Amino acid sequence: MADAGASSIMSETTLAPAPVEVQKGWGGQSVKRKEDKRLLQGEGVFVDDVKRHGMGYLHFVRSPYAHAHITRIDVSAAEAIDGVYGTLTGEEVAALTDPFFQISSAPGANIKDYSLAVGKVRYVGEPVVAVVAETRELARDASELVEVDYEPLDALVDARRAQDLGAPVLHDDAGGNLMWTGLYSWGDLESAFAEADRVVKIPELHFHRFNSTPLECDGALVEFNRGVGQWTIHTNNQFPGFAAIMMGPAMKVGLDKLRFVTQDIGGGFGNKITSHPQLVVCCLLARKLNRPVQWTEWRTDFHLSMSHGNERWFHDTEVAVKEDGTLLGFRTKALDDAGAWLRYEPLGGVIWAQVTPGMYRWRHIELEFTQVATNKAPVSPNRGYSRMQHLWFTERVMDIVAHELGLDPVEVRKRNYIRAEDMPYETPNGCVYDSGDYAAMLDLALELVGYDSMAGRRADAEARGKRLGVGIGSTLDSGTNNFGQSRLINPELQFSGNNEVATVKLDIFGEIVVTLGTTPQGQGHETTAAQVVADILGCSPDDVHVRAGHDSYWNSHAGFSGTYASQFAVTGLSAVKGATEMLAAEIKKLAGAVFGGVPEEALELADGGVRIKDNPDAFLPFMACGAIINANNAGLPEDLDVTLNCRYVYRPPFEVPDVEKKFGNLTLTYAAQIHVAVVEVDLETGSYEIVDYAAVDDCGKRINPQIVEGQVMGATAQALGAAVHETFEYDEDGNLLTPNFYDYHVPHALDMPPLATGAIESPSPFTPLGTKGMGEGGGAGIHAICAAIQDATGQVVTDSHNPFQRVWELMQR
Amino acid sequence: MDVTVTVNGETYEREVEPRKLLIHFLRDDLDLTGSHIGCDTGNCGACSVIVDGTLLKSCMLLAVQADGSSIETVEGLGEDGELTRLQRAFNEHHALQCGYCTPGMLMSATALLRENPSPSEDEIKKALQGNICRCTGYWNIVEAVKSVADA
Amino acid sequence: MLLREVEYAKPGSVAEALQLLAANEGARALAGGQTLVNVMKARAASPDMLVDLNGLEELRGVELAGDGTLTIGAMTTYTELMRSAEAKARPILGEVCATIADVQVRNRGTIGGNVCSNDPTNHLPPLMVAVGARMTIVGADGEREVPAEEFFLGVYLTAVGPGELLTRISVPAGKKDGFAAVTLGAEGTCICNAAATVNGSVRVALGCVDAVPVLVTADSAGGVADAVRAANLMPPSDVHASSAYRTHLAAVLATRAAEEATAR
Repeated sequence: MADAGASSIMSETTLAPAPVEVQKGWGGQSVKRKEDKRLLQGEGVFVDDVKRHGMGYLHFVRSPYAHAHITRIDVSAAEAIDGVYGTLTGEEVAALTDPFFQISSAPGANIKDYSLAVGKVRYVGEPVVAVVAETRELARDASELVEVDYEPLDALVDARRAQDLGAPVLHDDAGGNLMWTGLYSWGDLESAFAEADRVVKIPELHFHRFNSTPLECDGALVEFNRGVGQWTIHTNNQFPGFAAIMMGPAMKVGLDKLRFVTQDIGGGFGNKITSHPQLVVCCLLARKLNRPVQWTEWRTDFHLSMSHGNERWFHDTEVAVKEDGTLLGFRTKALDDAGAWLRYEPLGGVIWAQVTPGMYRWRHIELEFTQVATNKAPVSPNRGYSRMQHLWFTERVMDIVAHELGLDPVEVRKRNYIRAEDMPYETPNGCVYDSGDYAAMLDLALELVGYDSMAGRRADAEARGKRLGVGIGSTLDSGTNNFGQSRLINPELQFSGNNEVATVKLDIFGEIVVTLGTTPQGQGHETTAAQVVADILGCSPDDVHVRAGHDSYWNSHAGFSGTYASQFAVTGLSAVKGATEMLAAEIKKLAGAVFGGVPEEALELADGGVRIKDNPDAFLPFMACGAIINANNAGLPEDLDVTLNCRYVYRPPFEVPDVEKKFGNLTLTYAAQIHVAVVEVDLETGSYEIVDYAAVDDCGKRINPQIVEGQVMGATAQALGAAVHETFEYDEDGNLLTPNFYDYHVPHALDMPPLATGAIESPSPFTPLGTKGMGEGGGAGIHAICAAIQDATGQVVTDSHNPFQRVWELMQR
Repeated sequence: MDVTVTVNGETYEREVEPRKLLIHFLRDDLDLTGSHIGCDTGNCGACSVIVDGTLLKSCMLLAVQADGSSIETVEGLGEDGELTRLQRAFNEHHALQCGYCTPGMLMSATALLRENPSPSEDEIKKALQGNICRCTGYWNIVEAVKSVADA
Repeated sequence: MLLREVEYAKPGSVAEALQLLAANEGARALAGGQTLVNVMKARAASPDMLVDLNGLEELRGVELAGDGTLTIGAMTTYTELMRSAEAKARPILGEVCATIADVQVRNRGTIGGNVCSNDPTNHLPPLMVAVGARMTIVGADGEREVPAEEFFLGVYLTAVGPGELLTRISVPAGKKDGFAAVTLGAEGTCICNAAATVNGSVRVALGCVDAVPVLVTADSAGGVADAVRAANLMPPSDVHASSAYRTHLAAVLATRAAEEATAR
């Protein structure tokens, strides 16, 4: 039985078939975070904290209509006000910039996406005009004087109607609302249906629209240096590599003209990836007005316009099953609602395929993926991006099949889980699950939640007028993308693989300085990077200075740099490891020369320096090394190739996938989480409480277990919020009904259930440190809550969002 | 209008429009950017400060209403750059990830502990109910406050 | 998030406050600000002048008379009421206040403000109707008392007219009260609520189902559900609940509140 609070159990199993380099020393310890001191003292630097003399504050005039032609814009009254510095309209944007590059093939490829609405608005809250003024309040006031005339059009709000004859069309250039469609098919589904004892049919499943609402909204302060044509973009965008390749061509400037600087970011969860249109507006205005431009996104702006998670329907699902609960395969039609623009989409149309079979051994799978545009906020990656939706689908199938066959959901899962002895496991579409023991994780989760005592707890709940329900949510967190998967969306794209960069150097006084290419939003990169460096250099993490945040000027980044998609423990830390090993080798080379020709094998790094193993008194501290190379290098051998300033690019081992067969490895690592939720449903009202909860995580080797557990907890809380209360719901005119924290209820402290956490470590055989990317969590809480409600009510749950009314309606059936 | 406030022991005199919210006054006029803004409906608590001994959300107070008041913000919690017991407990228990809600959490916890040095877990959750966190799920924050309370 | 321009005045007496309100057509009283400031941030309402009542000490405090009547100053905060020894004479008041929002809001928000804003999802309007409170309104013509049943007139609309102020609320003696709600999250906004008082028969005031609290009566808790159904409620539908669900909840919560009141 879990404590009221959080308690932690660790069980360690090493299941990798090949030997991996296991960190000793600092790796594996819950070192306290370096980031915390400044954050606890209120000395963090978040983007809205950055100020520049003479900066203008930007306010967006946003569309009040979901769908309308823009017939007239007049900014003259706003511009006439003293203190208003200037404005920007869509017309100007269309003249100054090219439309953003589209990832999609036709028809989505044909849409024209500019950083302000041009000619038409397509969702409520879409930016139409930008006003910059001396104060925040004046920009806001002046925006009310901007005149915009609209000719309203019918709004399309239901993705299922998007391809109906006569449906309102958002993008005439695309000839309709279809943005992308593709058919995925592996194995032999017909033979699977022939072999099946039964075909379970599920007409409709729905995964709802929500996102992670990071507490800090988007923002930027952009400066333009006229002399060199350089923009410095202070922002909290979490994937500057992506922003740069979108912005550069649109603005018709080289990427080096866009310098991204971030320090502290108040949460990202994927929702801070697609702010590039707003950043372009800031850049254009900084240049036009010759002054720094500051943009703060308010909560309502964020809810209306930024990064909704993919809403996805699964229609006409058919599942081939045997009577004993073995699942052979499925077919389904996935309909994805992209909202008004494709910013990171339609990558969601392939990213789900990283986890095609979920955690299960079925081999015959067919999925038709269709993505359409609707008059709602544009979607973009949200924690668990596209895999979460698909994994929820596989979990629902498990539970619905169990329900139809009258089988225990625990047994059905165990019967169908991929087994530890199958790892590494190649899925039907060629992805390779590196390691994991799902059955063991499930057992641990059930134990943590006191599953054996459920019968008694059910009776007790019944006596109090409540119905108890237990549900399992198993999920994967696939990490480190192979961007070659984008070619399955559009074969013409020239992206593949992945990378991350780190530099490690010894300064003149021997200080160890590290730069990363990432943009952390609370994942503790400074700390874990310091742990990895400390283990290799034989010092303490306190001796390692990791620069906070990201800055393009450090030249410590590559095309895919950023913090997204559960990968830092692999990409970032492997880059750090590579750079530090380079540095370690150089230190030894230098010391070898200084000691008069001692070979590297005879040397070791320890105690903040380098020494001869058999003669520890022969010791050169890092300070001496740094001083020699930087300031005192006369007399060194001519061929001594040592700079003590090492840059390493980590490149995971990927091939370009087979575009025709849609086959190939799409992600390097597969962390897993299995959650069990226990709910009590009030029979009279449909309201329910989560009374117990267990979360078991396996992300391979954990460099800092406390940091890992923190993100497991955070992902759990977000999933619970989405399952019970959080939804971006629209009325039929395209108005968002939950545009702020008053109506969009996120969990508060009193909402949290007692939580027990557990961990298993199945190191990845594919990564330099045995780590796996983690952090997104794959929505396990949503899957578990749906299962628990189904168990409590005895009714099949078909929606990911189950507020009290829906549960009450289920019980009326 | 003229406003005189004492913040973390230092007195400031400024001229402000009546419509200026206290949170904007602190952040923009006084350059005390430790208190944050996370919403626009008074729900998130990132702006929480202590005014004349009372914990409030500074986004729902006009700066002019604070005239003559003594205000405490996160920047004033420690002395000489040293972390307080509460702040160290947050670090020990990994009670912060991105750190954006943290100043508000610290002010709410500080207000609680002044009034109730040994709160129960439920009392801690109730005291933090007005502070939204999206990163931690609150469990470690409650543990951190509990650890200081048990002493 | 950013307010429109507004003038600000902080009167030192109720008389001065009334003068300011009467003299400035676009003036509004500013009590705790926990609702009004948010309304102004959204620019859903933008008064020309705010008359800050926070300097009016005469509007704060809770008094207990010999006959058990409580008099609550309109500017009493939720926290002050929860801590008031006098208010414990009618425990339901402090108990319900303790579930409103969070400690920051309770430290500044006022009983009078909650009642005068009359948001249909607020806790105090149905509670005041159930306990039979009486509201004292002061204006240029002097003072008058309005029973709670006649105080709430429409959404955000009460009997307090332009140039007037609610100064105090009288709550009769009693202890047999109950309150039940289904909320958006623990101690969150009410989706549906009901307040009940037993004084011989049962009085239940339903919130969230109409522009103003709906009062039903029954002989006992067992008859409350029928009384609610007989009221032919037509609650609004919104993103949190349909009309049908609210109607259903009203009957359940009314019964629970009545049972709690009966059991005290």
